[in-house]
Amino acid sequence: MRERMAKLWRAVTWTWSPESERESSEAIVRNLWLHWFPAKITRAAMSWNYSMWLGTASASLFLILTITGVMLMFFYVPSTERAYGSIKDLEFAVSFGRILRNQHRWAAEGMVAIVFLHMARVFFTGAYRGQRAANWVVGVLLLLLTLLLSFTGYLLPWDQLAFWAVTVGTNIAREAPLVGGTISFLLLGGNQIDQQTLLRFYVLHVFFLPLLLWILFAYHMWRVRKDGGLAAVEPIRAERTMRPKEMPATKSYSMFGLTPGTSVQVMSSTDLEEQDLVTSSPNLTRRVMLVFLAVQNATLLAAILFNAPLEEAANAAVTPNPAKAPWYFVWLQELVASTTVRIGPFTISGGFLGGILLPGFLLMVLAVWPWLDRSPKNAEGRWFAKTRRNQNAVFAAAIVAIVILIIIGVFLRGPYWKIYLPGTPRPEMPKVF
Amino acid sequence: MAKQEKSYEVTDYGWLVAMSFVFLALVAIALWREVFPSWRPVQKTFRNDLQKYAGVEKADSFQIGIKQIWIPKINVVDRCVTCHLGYDWGTILPATLGEPLMPHPNLPYMDKHSFQQFGCTPCHGGQGWATTAEAAHGDKGWNDPMLSANLAKRYGLTRGELMQMRCNYCHRHDVATSGMEQINAAKILFKAKKCIVCHTVEGRGGATAPEITYFGDKDPELVDFSHVNGARTLFNWNYQHLMDPDKVSPHTTMPTFNFTPDEARDLTLLLLSWRREIFPPEYIPAPLEASATPTPTASATPSPAASPAPTKAP
Repeated sequence: MRERMAKLWRAVTWTWSPESERESSEAIVRNLWLHWFPAKITRAAMSWNYSMWLGTASASLFLILTITGVMLMFFYVPSTERAYGSIKDLEFAVSFGRILRNQHRWAAEGMVAIVFLHMARVFFTGAYRGQRAANWVVGVLLLLLTLLLSFTGYLLPWDQLAFWAVTVGTNIAREAPLVGGTISFLLLGGNQIDQQTLLRFYVLHVFFLPLLLWILFAYHMWRVRKDGGLAAVEPIRAERTMRPKEMPATKSYSMFGLTPGTSVQVMSSTDLEEQDLVTSSPNLTRRVMLVFLAVQNATLLAAILFNAPLEEAANAAVTPNPAKAPWYFVWLQELVASTTVRIGPFTISGGFLGGILLPGFLLMVLAVWPWLDRSPKNAEGRWFAKTRRNQNAVFAAAIVAIVILIIIGVFLRGPYWKIYLPGTPRPEMPKVF
Repeated sequence: MAKQEKSYEVTDYGWLVAMSFVFLALVAIALWREVFPSWRPVQKTFRNDLQKYAGVEKADSFQIGIKQIWIPKINVVDRCVTCHLGYDWGTILPATLGEPLMPHPNLPYMDKHSFQQFGCTPCHGGQGWATTAEAAHGDKGWNDPMLSANLAKRYGLTRGELMQMRCNYCHRHDVATSGMEQINAAKILFKAKKCIVCHTVEGRGGATAPEITYFGDKDPELVDFSHVNGARTLFNWNYQHLMDPDKVSPHTTMPTFNFTPDEARDLTLLLLSWRREIFPPEYIPAPLEASATPTPTASATPSPAASPAPTKAP
C-alpha cells in the first residue's frame, strides 16, 4: 500500500528535467506541438525586459478566445429574434455562462490592446529591419484581423451597444470613395443592419477571420524562426563577430602553405556561442506555460470582477445618446466628429478625411515603414536606440495622440457628443417612467 | 553562466507554482458563485415554509434550482418564480408570508389569466430573464421596468392603477373592462373630448396633430422636456402636456381641456398603453358591446389549471 502511494505521489508530482542536451532537444524536435520552437534559445530572447512576452500573451489570449468562443457557440443563436435572449440566458441561467461570456469579452478587449503593445515594442526595438520586414507586414495584417474579429464580435449580442457601434463603424466605411457604398452593402448584406448583417458578422467571426488569423499566426511564428529568432540576438551577433579573436594557437593554412593573418573560418563567428544559449526544454516551454497561465488568470479575474456590458435589446428606432464605436475605433469616431465642418446650413462630413484618409494613410505608412527606415544596422534589437530617436519620437507621439483621443471618446464624451469633465454632472436621459 | 541558468529555473518555477495557486483560487471562486447563487437561500426558506404548511412530502418534492415559466408563443421567459415561489400556492400558504414567498392574491380575473398562459412580466413588467433581484426589478439597463408601488407613487397612482396600463395592451379595443376603472374613464374621456378630430388613431382621425396609434412606443429622447417640471419622463411630459398644452409645447394648436389631475393621469395611462405589443389572437379579448356586462373575455383557449410545479430551466 505504502509503495503504491509512493508510486502515485511520483506520478502526480511528475517532473521533466532532461539529463542531456540531446534529450532536451529531442523533447522539442520530436514533439508535434513543440517542434516549431527552436531546440535552443538565446538568453537575450528569454529576457522579460526585451520582449515583455507580449507576442506570447497575444497568442495566449487568442487561444483562450478560441476555446471560450467555441463553448459560447453551443448557446448562441445568430438570429435577430433570439440572439439577445441567448445572451441573457448565458448571463442568468446557463451554468458558468456569465463567466464564460465575461472572459471571452475581456480577453477580446485585452487582445486588441496587447497586440497593439506588441507592435509598439517591435517598433521601439527596431526589430522589423532587413529580413524581418516581411514578418512586420504579416504583423500589421494580424493587427487588422484582430480589430476585425473584435468588431464582428461586437454585433453578436444584438443589444443597443452592439447595434449602434456597428452602425457608426459601417457608416464610416461608407465614406470611402468609389467602393465605400459597395463595402458597406457587402458587410451589411443590404442597406441597413438586419438579420443578413448578423449572419454575415457571425460567419466571419466564428469561421473565416479566426481561420485566417490562425494561418497567419502560424506563418508569423515560422518567420520568426526563419529570420533568426527575436531581433534581440542581433546586438550579440554583432558583438561576437566584432570582438577581436585571440589568434588561434594553430596556424592558418592556404592551399600552398602558411599565410599571414587569419582564415575565413576564424573570423566569421556567425553562430552564437554556447554561453548565449539555454535549452528550450524546459526553459522556454516553462516560460510559455507561465505566460499563458498569467494571461488566463488575468482574464479570469476580470471575468469574475466585471460583467461584460449588455444593454437593452437592439432597437433601430431608438438611438442611444451618445452612440459610440467600440473603444479601439472611438479615436476614428473622434476624428470624424472633429473634421466635420459646418458652414451655415451646410455640413461637410468628416467621414472621408477622419474615417478613411487619415487611418488609411497611417496604415499604409506602418506597412511600408521597414523600407523607409534608414537607421543603422546596430540600432536593431535594442530599446530606444539613439540613432532611431526621431522616428521613435514620431511613433510615440502618434500613439499618445490616439490614446488621448480614445480617452476623450470613451470617458469624456456624453450626451450630444459633448465633453463632460470627470465630476461634472451629465444630463439625465429621459425615460418612459 | 550555469548560475544564471539556475536563476531562470528557480524564479520561473516559483512563479509557475504561484500562478497555479491563483488559478485554483479563481476557479474555486467561480465554482462557489455557481453553487451558491443569491436565490438559493430564498429557496431554502421556501422549502422550510412548505414543510411547515404543507408537510414533509411536499417539501421533499421541491427541488432547488432555477424555475421559469416559459411561453414561447408570447416570447416570455419568466424566471421571477425562482424566488417568488409561493405564487400559485394560494390554497396552502398564507398571505402573511410576505415577499418574495407569499402566494399571488386571488384576484377576480385570475381564472382568466392563468400563470401558465401569461407568466409574470406581461402584467407586472420587469426583466423575466433575470435571476437576481436587482436585474429583475431594477429599471437600470432595462426599458420595461417592473411596475412597483414606489414607481406608481411617483405619479400619484396606486400600483393597481398603474398596472392597468399593461392590461390595456390586450384590452385596447374593449369599450369597458371591469377592474380597469382608470383606463375605462380615460376611454370615455377620449371619446367625449373628440381627440380624433385632430389626432389619427389606427387609421381614423384628423391630420392636424401627430398620429398617436403607438404613443407608448415614442422615444422619450425625441420629446422636448425644456418646459416640463420634475423628472424627464414620458409620463410627466404627457401628464403636464394634457394639463396645460401651451406651457409644455408653446404655440401648440391643442386646446386646454381643463382636465382634473385624475383625468390627466388616466389619459396618460391610456396613451402609454398604446404600444406595438404582439400578442397572438387568442390573447386578445373579443370586442364587447358597451351595454354588455363588463366582464373580460380574456382568452379563447382553455388554460390548464396552474400546476404547482413550474417548468424547470432547461
